[in-house]
Amino acid sequence: MVVNSLAFLWFFLFVMVVYYLCQTKKEVQNVFLLACSYWFYSQVDIKMTVLLIILTLIFWLLGKGIHHFMEKEDERKAGLMASLGVTIGIGALFYFKYLNFFAESVATFASFLGFHMSWTALHLVVPIGLSFFTFKLMSYVLDIHHGKILPEGNIVSFANYIAFFPTILSGPIDRPKPFLIQANVARLFNSDQLMTGFRRVLWGMFLKMCIADRLDIYVSAVWNNYEHHSAISILFASLLYPLQMYADFGGYSEMAIGVALMLGFKVAENFKRPFFVLDIAGYWSRWHMTLTSWLTDYVFLPLNIKFRDWGVYGTIFAIMLNMTFIGLWHGANWTFLLFGIYHGLWYIPLMVGGGFFKKRKIKVNAHGWPKQQYVWKMIGIYLVVTFGLMLFHSATIGEFWHICERIATHWQGGLFTDMSTMANAAICLIALIYVDIQEEWFPKYQLPLPHQINRWRWELTVAVEIVCILLFGVFDNNQFIYFQF
Amino acid sequence: MKKLLLHIFIVACLFFIIDRITGLGLGFLYRQSNATDEYKISYSNESTRDSLLFMGSSRCLHHYIPSIFEKGLGTTCYNTADWGIKNIYFHYGLLGNILSRYTPKTIIFEVHPCDFQNTPFSGKERAGSLAPYCGMSKECDEMLKLSGNFWSYKLSWVYRYTGSLPNLITGKLGSMDRNLKGWKPLDGVLDTTGIKAEEYPFPIDQERIDLLERFINDCKQKNIQLSLIVSPMYLCSKEDVYKIPRELAAKHRLSFIDHYRDSTFVGHPELFYDLGHLNRKGAEIYSRMVCEELKR
Repeated sequence: MVVNSLAFLWFFLFVMVVYYLCQTKKEVQNVFLLACSYWFYSQVDIKMTVLLIILTLIFWLLGKGIHHFMEKEDERKAGLMASLGVTIGIGALFYFKYLNFFAESVATFASFLGFHMSWTALHLVVPIGLSFFTFKLMSYVLDIHHGKILPEGNIVSFANYIAFFPTILSGPIDRPKPFLIQANVARLFNSDQLMTGFRRVLWGMFLKMCIADRLDIYVSAVWNNYEHHSAISILFASLLYPLQMYADFGGYSEMAIGVALMLGFKVAENFKRPFFVLDIAGYWSRWHMTLTSWLTDYVFLPLNIKFRDWGVYGTIFAIMLNMTFIGLWHGANWTFLLFGIYHGLWYIPLMVGGGFFKKRKIKVNAHGWPKQQYVWKMIGIYLVVTFGLMLFHSATIGEFWHICERIATHWQGGLFTDMSTMANAAICLIALIYVDIQEEWFPKYQLPLPHQINRWRWELTVAVEIVCILLFGVFDNNQFIYFQF
Repeated sequence: MKKLLLHIFIVACLFFIIDRITGLGLGFLYRQSNATDEYKISYSNESTRDSLLFMGSSRCLHHYIPSIFEKGLGTTCYNTADWGIKNIYFHYGLLGNILSRYTPKTIIFEVHPCDFQNTPFSGKERAGSLAPYCGMSKECDEMLKLSGNFWSYKLSWVYRYTGSLPNLITGKLGSMDRNLKGWKPLDGVLDTTGIKAEEYPFPIDQERIDLLERFINDCKQKNIQLSLIVSPMYLCSKEDVYKIPRELAAKHRLSFIDHYRDSTFVGHPELFYDLGHLNRKGAEIYSRMVCEELKR
């Protein structure tokens, strides 16, 4: 069941009615929310729901244990329990996502060295959302161990944090503290919150159905048959792919945030106009923000501190490892690994030049528009990201290499055109760019932005948005790209 | 809560108004369009008055030249076929819309395996092309219901034109040659490199066969002279692909004109545009051939 489906609409309407009928009883509301979340997840895979429940229980107990030993000032045992939590989290990820890849890679390497090793791939079904909820579980035990939060006494609230249905499949990866604070108070019916949330859901649907799915028609047509397309078509499809990804994952995040808001939860933002930046660090501070901040807090900063004696080289080492993890987080594939390393390499000039810790701001001219030299830099970063996503999109390094080879050699033949798809996508992209530019550089203008409620025209903009989705949307392509991670 | 309900009510009213006004505008553009697809579907559904109609999918669209039949048979003719692997769900809905306006004397229906096999690439959703004509005939509505979108089309007039705004805006600039009366010529010669016969290893679909029978029965009830026809392919399957329509034709005493393995065409790349479609020259030869057969 995906968020932009009719089945989800009926499910959510039912949830909303019952949820707010029991708003005065926080415990009942939480139990109901949890039951709905587990039911929602069980629609994906019932066996994995059991795994989710078991992991939730283990981490809840681990949290208690860590706190217990910390109170007794037994740092060693508290540390051991936190490490056990991280090991279980990474172990689950490793088993489901990386075991086959790792074993096959080892076997290939061994045969390369002349040893005979064979590995029969296990038929493992990766639980949808595994990468998202294991990160939540690990951040819970780590935050307790770091003294940032106290263990959650109420297991239902904790289980809601892990299994919260708007975010379990594809994030945002919320941190425990802000969520648990909200989970421990009753969420009262608030029409303003509902209306804001609904606008965000609609905007997310627009991004997903009108832009991402529309662009997917063109991008897939070219990429899935790249051997029959000219270099110009492949390059054009590649240039569209970052926009497709942004609209797809950003759209899902908007919907998740909107649905959560309608249930009275403010969850973390995940995207903030990621292409309006001047360097790769800026890009990652605005793209999949909850993953980046998670890895920054739990991987990069500890590593950076550990290697601080190495000076800038320590920071480079920490960032390279961090970016490699970002790449591998997406899946067990050499292309993801290279994707991470590729992005890490772009950080090196920043660190060597001393720009890494500076927040570079785009300067604007007298009319409020970004100055020309910054526009070129933004275009440059877009191209850097595009090349990285070409790696990301390729099934194998071999495929990536063939694509690059084709780009280099097949300049004959024109641009593959699908006028209807391109024109529909262009109209919607103009709307997206307009909204993003306005939010970035002209926020004072009270235009009908999706995140703002202009009381007198809320109704009109909602009605127009629904009509636009019906007019420009693609209604038979429901899968979100990030569900596979 | 009351406040929210009021907001929802206002949104619903505004949606209804905007949707209807926009839907009417889109409908107007659709009917004014000179672009091939919109014009063809619009004209076939709403304006045909011809005695002889050709119906079918892309093979029909490219193979039957109405002017040849008009000259040869002394009757008016229109080729209502549409591209995009249309199947019996579309054809039956279109027939319903045509019969709700007038009764042609003769219909020649080019059958395709999509009309009786459960082909994964051509399912019930193909009837969705009739969305602008939702409510025109009960057959059309029934097909739209089978496609699963009938109530969406009822609820939203805009949804009937989803994804087609740019086409409709530029539709006036389209270059549909109305003198061709629905025929779409293909210019070019088949490149035979690596070409193989098309196979149809898909299961028989009883629902589609039932619709095919209903198509036949509706024509019979209106005393329309119906013929089933199969045009040539460059390469033929070894299987008896058209067994079912042949049996249906025999059962209902219809003529079944089978040119699938016609040696005039099979293996002659100069007459084909691609494996399954005749080029302009091939279509001219083929249309004359069929016209002579119809005369007899």
